[in-house]
Amino acid sequence: MGREVSESCIDSLLTEMVSTYCNRFYATKPELAARRIEAIGYQVGHQLSERYTMERPRFSDHLEAIKFICKDFWSEVFKKQIDNLKTNHRGTFVLQDNRFRWLARMSVDPPTENGGLPQDPSALAENEATQLMSMYLYFPCGIIRGALSNLGISCAVSADISSLPACSFVIRIKA
Amino acid sequence: MIVCVAVVGHQNNPLYIQSFTEADDALKLHHIVHCSLDVVDERVNNPKKSGPMLNETFLGLLYPTENYKVYGYLTNTKVKFILVTTDLDVKDADVRNFFRRFHAAYVDAVSNPFHVPGKKITSRTFADRVSSIVKSFGLSSTV
Amino acid sequence: MEDYAEELRSPPVSLIALVGCSEHHHMLSTYLHSEQPPINTLALPDFSKISLLLSDSHRNNNKSSSPTTDPLSSSSSGILKKDWFLKHRTRVPAVVAALFSSDHISGDPAQWLQVCTDLENLKNEIRSKNIKLAVVGVQSSSSAEISEDRMIALRKRAEVDSKFLVIFNPYDDSQLQQSLSRLGTVFAELATTYYRDEGRRIKTRVEKKNFNSPELHVRYCFKVAVYAEFRRDWAEALRFYEDAYHTLREMVGTTNRLPAIQRLVEIKAVAEQLYFKISTLLLHGAKVVEAVTWFRQHYVSYRRLVGAPEATFLHWEWMSKQFLVFAELLETSSKAFPSNFNPLLGTGERPLTEWEFQPAYYYQLAAHYLKEKRKYLELAVSISETDGEIDNGAESVTPSIYVGQFARLLEQGDTYVMQPLSDEEYTSYAISEGKRYQDSFEIIVLLKKSYESYNSLKALRMASLCGFQMAREHFAMGDFNNAKQLLDGVASLYRQEGWVTLLWDVLGYLQDCSRKSGTVKEFIEYSLEMAALPISSDTEVHSFRSKDVGPAGPASLSQREIIHNEVFGLVSGDASRAIAENNDDLKITGDSPLRLEIDLVSPLRSALLATVAFHEQIIKPGVPALITLSLLSHLPLTVNIDQLQIQFNQSECNFTIINSERTESARMTNDQQGPRVESAPSLALVTNKWLRLTYAVMSEQSGKLECIYVAAKMGPHFTICCRAESPASMDELPLWKFEDRVETFPTRDPALAFSGQKASQVEEPDPQVDLILDSAGPALVGESFMVPVTVASKGHAIFSGELKINLVDVRGGGLFSPREAEPSSMENHHVELLGVIGLDEEDESQVWADKITKIQQSFGLVSVPKLGNAESWSCNLEIKWHRPKPVMLFVSLGYFTDSNELTSPKVHVHKSLQIEGKNAIQISHIFMLPFRQDPLLLSTIKPSSDAGEPASLPLNGSSLLIISAKNCSEVPLQLQSISVEDDDDNERQFTLQHSGDLLGSAQLMPGEEFRKVFTVVPELKASKLKLGTVSLRWKRNLETNNHPSTVGWILTKHELPEIIVEISPLVVNLESPPYAILGEPFKYQVKIRNHTQLLQEVKFSLADSQSFLLSGSHSDTIFILPKSEHILSYKIVPLTSGLQQLPRVTVTSQRYLAEFQPSLAASSIFVFPCEPHFKKSDNGDKRKESVMAE
Repeated sequence: MGREVSESCIDSLLTEMVSTYCNRFYATKPELAARRIEAIGYQVGHQLSERYTMERPRFSDHLEAIKFICKDFWSEVFKKQIDNLKTNHRGTFVLQDNRFRWLARMSVDPPTENGGLPQDPSALAENEATQLMSMYLYFPCGIIRGALSNLGISCAVSADISSLPACSFVIRIKA
Repeated sequence: MIVCVAVVGHQNNPLYIQSFTEADDALKLHHIVHCSLDVVDERVNNPKKSGPMLNETFLGLLYPTENYKVYGYLTNTKVKFILVTTDLDVKDADVRNFFRRFHAAYVDAVSNPFHVPGKKITSRTFADRVSSIVKSFGLSSTV
Repeated sequence: MEDYAEELRSPPVSLIALVGCSEHHHMLSTYLHSEQPPINTLALPDFSKISLLLSDSHRNNNKSSSPTTDPLSSSSSGILKKDWFLKHRTRVPAVVAALFSSDHISGDPAQWLQVCTDLENLKNEIRSKNIKLAVVGVQSSSSAEISEDRMIALRKRAEVDSKFLVIFNPYDDSQLQQSLSRLGTVFAELATTYYRDEGRRIKTRVEKKNFNSPELHVRYCFKVAVYAEFRRDWAEALRFYEDAYHTLREMVGTTNRLPAIQRLVEIKAVAEQLYFKISTLLLHGAKVVEAVTWFRQHYVSYRRLVGAPEATFLHWEWMSKQFLVFAELLETSSKAFPSNFNPLLGTGERPLTEWEFQPAYYYQLAAHYLKEKRKYLELAVSISETDGEIDNGAESVTPSIYVGQFARLLEQGDTYVMQPLSDEEYTSYAISEGKRYQDSFEIIVLLKKSYESYNSLKALRMASLCGFQMAREHFAMGDFNNAKQLLDGVASLYRQEGWVTLLWDVLGYLQDCSRKSGTVKEFIEYSLEMAALPISSDTEVHSFRSKDVGPAGPASLSQREIIHNEVFGLVSGDASRAIAENNDDLKITGDSPLRLEIDLVSPLRSALLATVAFHEQIIKPGVPALITLSLLSHLPLTVNIDQLQIQFNQSECNFTIINSERTESARMTNDQQGPRVESAPSLALVTNKWLRLTYAVMSEQSGKLECIYVAAKMGPHFTICCRAESPASMDELPLWKFEDRVETFPTRDPALAFSGQKASQVEEPDPQVDLILDSAGPALVGESFMVPVTVASKGHAIFSGELKINLVDVRGGGLFSPREAEPSSMENHHVELLGVIGLDEEDESQVWADKITKIQQSFGLVSVPKLGNAESWSCNLEIKWHRPKPVMLFVSLGYFTDSNELTSPKVHVHKSLQIEGKNAIQISHIFMLPFRQDPLLLSTIKPSSDAGEPASLPLNGSSLLIISAKNCSEVPLQLQSISVEDDDDNERQFTLQHSGDLLGSAQLMPGEEFRKVFTVVPELKASKLKLGTVSLRWKRNLETNNHPSTVGWILTKHELPEIIVEISPLVVNLESPPYAILGEPFKYQVKIRNHTQLLQEVKFSLADSQSFLLSGSHSDTIFILPKSEHILSYKIVPLTSGLQQLPRVTVTSQRYLAEFQPSLAASSIFVFPCEPHFKKSDNGDKRKESVMAE
């Protein structure tokens, strides 16, 4: 298609979406906000998977579909592949991206109470940052879930930030 | 001549069905499209019968009825495209070409952010695009 | 397929004739028939019959050709003779076997002559027909011999090869088998030769093409193929059948032998037969793909040969028959298919698809063509009737001798004459024939086969289509029950998969079925479902002008509206609104009010959906709680509801909402409703818009409050009862969920739409009873500690109630959880609930005590007596601690305020209290030796420094045991006695004396210590001596503390450790005055006594002390005689006042290499600065105590 999208626009859009849902629409109900953000991601993933699977034969099993997500889908969306894929062969897959694009420009900004100590690696700041960050991960989780469910795999997706730009997504396929 | 095209969702529900005949057999075409889903199921559930075209999206001729030929296409996302034609002599390449263009039109239609996944496709643009694809069916393989 | 004659359906079997010796015919026939391949036999008893048989076929031939008045040659008057095949199978033998008895062969000349004549006649008969001859000599007895020359003569007469002259011996078993198999071979060979010759003869004609009509070509090819079949040469048979078939197809345009219609009929009939043979051959050869491909070509090449318009139905009938026959062929032969049959489908050169291998597909098409036939037949009938034609002479038309030809049979004198028909005559004959059949039944049978077959293939959609078509046939015939049954199944599939247009059609039939059978409820249900179908846009309308739409008409919004109006006209009883149609049967009256139920899976959910959401998950009893009731309808027009009844599981919460616009109709019935009636200004349900109503409900009863039903009353006798749904768990509406429309929430608040539930939990009413637990400080281990529990009503009367008492380890160890511990093992219960004691007057507590249901070690259940408001009741929990530890006491009171336990809510009050359990008294002990007397105890000298070393006491020396009891509690205690008691009843190995048995009542304030001194004299040397257990009896001092404790004395025990008793060889006694005075000398003696029978060498040394001046030997070695005593005597002058250490003496026994010193306490003395003046009273005692205390 050759259409291009500004990366910073996407970053800003994502930031704005999270802040709108978390601080304006559902300021008091973070779980409702998370649900809505995830739902947006779901639709995006659903539609993207429709496009990206267009010219390929059908997947014969779950692993093939997950591999598609790791390679082609991820490349299309993030211009890189997933770095590591693990599975327990019982329906759980862990997708590790060592430099997740949407987290790459985020820094751990300690909350104001702790202010004055930038780069403070205290556990408290880390914890709060993780909490804030998790809001941003509902969207990519929704994308993965939407793509997989469009491929006929109903699953639950959760994300986990180990150390900042790295991120792992856990896919649990519902029996 | 293509008399009917249809998009069928993964729950076998019709998402888009359009007939292109002047004759009053739309209901019959609906029945034909619906029945062809049985063949799709059969092909997908017994993949070994389809031999070399394992997992290919194009399913080929699904079944001939008295006056029609029914072709099928199954996307990775379990969406089925059904084509009903009255032509007796249809080239596989034409049908494949048709389905590829139809698929592209479908993807564009469902990528509309205002389209809710799983709902019927009501887009006017899609309908226009489909009818132009239908019109150019089999005219030349260069299209 | 059953229509075809047997000779067509099964492969042909060689036929031979047996003549003569009829007694053996049966055996031979049976044998030949069971041969592989089988041979059929014609058994002719004697030789005269053979001419009859053969001439019979001649005459038939002649006779059948005689009535033909066709000007052309007889050969071209038809294509195939109907009976030709049959003739060859049943009447024209390939071989005639002449059986001659050996008697006759070797008999007298007359007999021989007879044999020769018979043979000659036979030869004449069969020669013209090329029938082969075999001669069989039958031995008339087991021993009969046939002379060689007679045999040769016979062979010559018969002009047969010697191998075709067989001797048959029926009397010898082994020879019988042999000759039978010989006969079989011979006959088979001859038959093959015959059929080959015949085939070759005709084949030459085909090859030379020495005939002028294609009819002959077809006929000859057919014959060659049949002869090939006789020989089981399937390939050749197939080839010639195909040749015949193709020639025949070409004839369609060329021949003009018969009138057009009949010509086509004949060609199709022959084609059918040829095709049938081809399919059979292919399928028998398991060439399924070829058979299917062939069949496709077959029907494609004939499909367009419709023929003249007035006889079109004949074409469709024929087509239908082709499909039916092929379906049956496929069905019967499909059992023989290999299971891994795996054609490439849908692509390439042979684009065959799955269904084309299934009989179901062909049955379905057979039914389809039969429907066509019926359509055109009806047309033809109506034309012929309007033409006023009379079926004249149709009854005299019969099939002619040619396949596919018909002729009029005319009676001409004695004989019947076949007369050809004109096309008009033929058509009217065919129409009158056609009218005799009930095509509908046939169509249903075909569809049913297809339906069942598809179902077994799990092709549910194909099956549904067949079912739908069947149902339409039933419907057309007025068989509504069968139709409805089928349609319901079909509709459920379409509903499930969301095929609205198809569903509409099916529902239209269902609606009409119920209308015609007068079932109001179903009629309304189907109508409502149709009206609520998501058919909104008119875009689809134009494509449904179709003539084959169902009774519902085209699917469109306007049609939905019509149906809507019809239904609501019906239910309102308003005739003017009803569509002017003859539906007298459909009435809803007061006698038979109509109530529809809509549950969670009902298709009518889109007609009316009710959700109920409680605003709060937990509501208080007696406090109004808000619920939002939301109704949604997809009916095309606005529905006005007269009244809504909302029903809960707690029926007293039910209420009714009345549409105030429709009060007059609602009022009529509102008497029987629940007590609460609300009124709403309008209850209009607009299409696809939620009607949201918020009301308050109040429940008095704790537990679950759930909305069950919402019943909407519309019209005087019509109610729709909707099962209430929770917005949070509401399923999407079927069908509508695929529509591209804006989703709306049942409640305005999106959070409530996500989480709203139709049920809520009603809390218990707040208790109005106090439960007071009281405890005065910590409990003391061993006592029965009383915890008073008071139940004081302050608003609620307690009708009946019970207290649950639980003791739980504070540390959560669960040490006395009843689950973990054995109830019987006391060890596990460090704290024990002993019982419950009422504080009330004697008689009442007596009554009440019976009500104690259960007391376990850590759990108790006590019933509470009836209490009025503001009354109170109390009891004491008696708890005993065995170990000091804190315990949590949980007491919960559950009570009913009312006598009816079902209606009155049970109220619970919970209280808990942590109680410390403490040791009241700490008992300790010290052993002391007598003052200033130190025995040498060898064990203590040895360098073992173990702290836990038991104390050693000298044998027969009196030692002191001091037992002290300290009050560790915070309350004063009273001691009763302290004593040392034996553990067992053994003889005491020591004497124990003590200073009298206390104490009256010794008060022991908190922190105080009480001591008692015992003198112990061990009387037996023992390494371990048990001294027994200290028993201390005490209680709380009640004078100072008004505590509700038990009055009895509490026994606390303390076990004394074991001691070691040993003999001391040397005892050192220090003797000095009790005190000294500064500057005044005194005498200090160290007495060393040898208790042994040995001479003891003892070294001693005396350390200098700065406080004293000393005279005497400082150190020396002395010898002490056995059982004697050595005294070291010193004079000492104290130089310093105060408590001073005397110069310490160190004694070393050379024998035991043991050194010991008297203890520091023993060698101390108080030096007064001057002579003290003591009162002489009882100072001595006190002083002694104070010294001991140190």
